[in-house]
Amino acid sequence: MKRVKQLTDHVGTFVCKALLVVLPCIIVSACTTARVEDTRQQSTGILEGEGVVIMARSYHLGNETEMSFIDCIGSAISRGSSGLRVIPSAEFVDALFPWFEPRTAPSDTKALPDFIERPGVADMIAEKGVRYVIWLDGDTDRVAGGGSLSCAAGPGGGGCFGFAWWQNDSKYEAAVWDLTALESAGTISTDVSGTSFLPAVVIPIPLIARTKAKACRGLADQLKLFIVSEDA
Amino acid sequence: MAACFAAFSGCSSQVTVNDPTIPDPLIEKIPLSVAVRFPDQFDHYIYEDQLAGREKWTVDLGRSNELLFTKLFSSMFNELTVIEGGMDPKDMPIDAYIEPSIDAFEFSTPAQSQTEAFAVWIRYRIKIFDKNGDQFANWPISAYGKSQTTMMGGDDAMRRAAVLAMRDAAALIVMQLDKTTRISRLNRSKLSRAAVRSEPENPEPTMTEPVEEASKTAASEDAIDETG
Repeated sequence: MKRVKQLTDHVGTFVCKALLVVLPCIIVSACTTARVEDTRQQSTGILEGEGVVIMARSYHLGNETEMSFIDCIGSAISRGSSGLRVIPSAEFVDALFPWFEPRTAPSDTKALPDFIERPGVADMIAEKGVRYVIWLDGDTDRVAGGGSLSCAAGPGGGGCFGFAWWQNDSKYEAAVWDLTALESAGTISTDVSGTSFLPAVVIPIPLIARTKAKACRGLADQLKLFIVSEDA
Repeated sequence: MAACFAAFSGCSSQVTVNDPTIPDPLIEKIPLSVAVRFPDQFDHYIYEDQLAGREKWTVDLGRSNELLFTKLFSSMFNELTVIEGGMDPKDMPIDAYIEPSIDAFEFSTPAQSQTEAFAVWIRYRIKIFDKNGDQFANWPISAYGKSQTTMMGGDDAMRRAAVLAMRDAAALIVMQLDKTTRISRLNRSKLSRAAVRSEPENPEPTMTEPVEEASKTAASEDAIDETG
């Protein structure tokens, strides 16, 4: 009984020591620098029944925004008590075919009056209740990295030794177009950078800086405020 | 070990596109009665490519191009007839007939482009003939689709890129077909009215005259390649 108690104490001490080492690392890994800025060009606001569509800028223009980021923004912007109604982009693009395809969608707000005058377009936008189109641009890049990590396995077991790190930079911009006023309401940009670490002593412990997830949360929160707020 | 090597060395991917599901376009129809003849390649188009040192890709477009153009042209024109077998378009009450075909199909994988996306290029050719069977326009178009790899894997991204390329072609055809080829000039009733108007001054053949004029215009645009 005493031996069991001693063993438990040893395990407890080991866990505490391990936590003392790992916790600061987790806190360090969580350190990301984030910046969110918005530029308002006109007053916004949204009525009941109105919604938004979240689109990626056309790949014909070289944009490489990840689908996962667009899904993340759509999900985050529709959540919560102040969540906005999000019309799925595929449904909107199909309903307006062929005028919102990557090749044909208006590339700036100057093209909106011509776009809205195409046969059936204004009626379809009204039917879908789309007030704002949010165009997303940007991506997440690995900007630096280093260290070395090697793993080996044999009949008696395996393990990894070493240390690796890398820095990710998530830069995104959301342009908000008002389809009622046919003007740009403004833009919101976010820039999140963070360094991830992967120390390994037998077992690798990944300490990941989730820059894309943080950029998504920051941008979605700001977009909600930007659209709901009626300030000019 | 040998089994693993054998399994990896024979790596190949096969992608099948059954139906590109083109939505109903928001357009005003061109007042023409048109027939379309699909080439044999539209029945079962298969493209294969063995990437150097990498896997082999097979993209099977099946009958998807036939479905695409049938849907597209039936939405664009007042009447559409699909010419089958030995039917002769000259015997049909039509204004024009169209022969679409595929000139080239290409793709790139993430390993080739050093990105996370699959891209597909399809070069179509649209030949338009008047009701007498004379070539009126010859329009090459380049369509492009791009899709990022997802959790579903490369096959799904390649399929989506191919469908996006076909949608891109459809969008381009809707926007540019009449502007580029002037196909609406082949309207028989318009041609008849033009013929009646010109009859007192020129009793010689008038039915084909506007077509010839239109042909000259279209011919000058034959080489236009609407790339993305």
